[in-house]
Amino acid sequence: MSHKEKKTSEKNFRTYIRNPYLQFIAFGLILLIVPTLASNFRFFKVGYITTIGVSLIYAIAALGLNVLLGWSGLISLGTAGFMGLASYLSAYITINMGLPFEVAMFAAVLIPTIIGILVGLISLKIEGLYLAIATLAVSEVLRKSFEEFEWLTNGFSGKAASYPTLFGFIQLDRASMYYFIVFVLIIVMLITYNIVNGQIGRALNAMRGSEAAAQAMGVNLLRYRLIAFAMATIFAAVSGVLYVHFIRYSYPSSWSLKLSLDFLAMIVIGGLRSIYGTVLGAFIVFAVPDMFLKQIPYFNQISYSLNGLLIILVIMFYPNGLVYIFKDIRNVWRKVIGKGKVKHVVRK
Amino acid sequence: MLSENEVLRIENLSIQFGGLKAVDNLNFEIKQNEIFGLIGPNGAGKTTVFNCITQFYKPNQGSIYFRTKDGQVENLVKHKVHEIIRLGLVRTFQNVELVRELSILDNVLIGAHIDFKSTIVEQALRLPRARNEEKALREEAEMILRKLGIWERKDMIAFGQPYGILKKVEFARTLMCRPSLIILDEPAAGLNDVETAQLSEMIRTIRDEFNCSVLLVEHDMRLVMDVCDRICAISFGKFLAKGTPKEIQTNPVVQQAYLGTTEEDEHE
Repeated sequence: MSHKEKKTSEKNFRTYIRNPYLQFIAFGLILLIVPTLASNFRFFKVGYITTIGVSLIYAIAALGLNVLLGWSGLISLGTAGFMGLASYLSAYITINMGLPFEVAMFAAVLIPTIIGILVGLISLKIEGLYLAIATLAVSEVLRKSFEEFEWLTNGFSGKAASYPTLFGFIQLDRASMYYFIVFVLIIVMLITYNIVNGQIGRALNAMRGSEAAAQAMGVNLLRYRLIAFAMATIFAAVSGVLYVHFIRYSYPSSWSLKLSLDFLAMIVIGGLRSIYGTVLGAFIVFAVPDMFLKQIPYFNQISYSLNGLLIILVIMFYPNGLVYIFKDIRNVWRKVIGKGKVKHVVRK
Repeated sequence: MLSENEVLRIENLSIQFGGLKAVDNLNFEIKQNEIFGLIGPNGAGKTTVFNCITQFYKPNQGSIYFRTKDGQVENLVKHKVHEIIRLGLVRTFQNVELVRELSILDNVLIGAHIDFKSTIVEQALRLPRARNEEKALREEAEMILRKLGIWERKDMIAFGQPYGILKKVEFARTLMCRPSLIILDEPAAGLNDVETAQLSEMIRTIRDEFNCSVLLVEHDMRLVMDVCDRICAISFGKFLAKGTPKEIQTNPVVQQAYLGTTEEDEHE
């Protein structure tokens, strides 16, 4: 290979690794392979697959909240309620009605989305903290109904569900369900990426920046608020459906305010308006205390308090999200290998 | 309603906030390819007129006729705020309303919001139409940035850019919708002498290159006198005078409103 050819092939390689879509797919492959290998080679307990799976499920709902809060500047404390509603609906439709998983998924996403859009309508009238309180109220109403409507939710005893059967003949088990979760997460990440980097994303950004300016540019506030709320609810509902078919149980206590606040913590810690940051945040808030902090001797009892401490540290040193740590690491790396081309991190 | 060479005509415009008549029976018209200034002392109601034209306020009385991009005549009062830009009328903001976290190019593309035809699903899946649209409008945005001389900065984040650059970005954003009339809300606010001089140059460039009219709502007399073809002066919501910069400068009524008489002093 001549020198010139070598250079172009190197360049081709670079454009490939910079392609965001290929990056998403590579990220998905890593998520598929690493935990599987790690458990095969006994690097960690098989049970950790569940932990990672659930944090990826949470990442889906957190991505929806990020579209809402990060990109559109609208707050919601109702994520857990919508996620719970979808989980009960999907369990009920597959177990009690005996309908296929695909039908359950569709209905269990559609119904919460309609409610989510109604909340979006309310958001035109109320803003900021008041919107937070209103969405909190919706979520609490839902949680209370999970306790009361026993025909649907089986009350405090919890509603059971099973691993899904795809297209009527692919019966999933825990490992394959984990693959399915990764698949859905990557799809959701791709869709989010496309939306937030296109016309809709710019309109959402403009709406967050200044409503007057957005309107002057022709952004119909009602329409884009509804889009933001619809996306947030769809993602939360998808995540609820995956949750109930992965954990195979849904309890009212799972869908409390604490979970909604956890979602908030995930996107703030991971990175507002960052897709990878959201996944990272979900991992830190949910998987880290379970998988790592519990391993520290003498501290296993207080792993969640340690996690609180970790969160405070992250916010102090990476107020824009821990995802920026990778840029810092890259800069340090460039300095070390002496390329000298240090890119300054632009704090968003 | 609107004679041949006019792009905007305001007829008997009045708006009242409680007991205060902010704008009282105002009339003026802007011709095609004209730079028209609206001036007045503090509290004269300039910004209110501005907000009435762009429909942020709904006037109590009067009509605002506008010749749209397709040559039709529309009464703006019948339209919603976000529909105004579709007709070919676009505004800037006094304190530059850009999205700090977006790149300059993306900020300019916000101005092309109404030009996108692809649906949510097409955008979510990046189907061909969404991709092509994005590409075409991106090229157009780059072309405008090049004309305004800030193309090299297109990938930089808006936050932290010098004020003069941000003003240019905002102009670029308004030009994306190929407007027939641009309304500038006190564009000279916060600029120094040199920048103000550059601004008047740029306003002329915009008028000539993009073939549109400009309505300038402004405090800064140097800019107004330098760049405007005609000026309308108002005070306390009422019409004072209309004419070329020379005529306005020498008009005794305008002088009185600005410099004040004993009677006016009591008002202030």
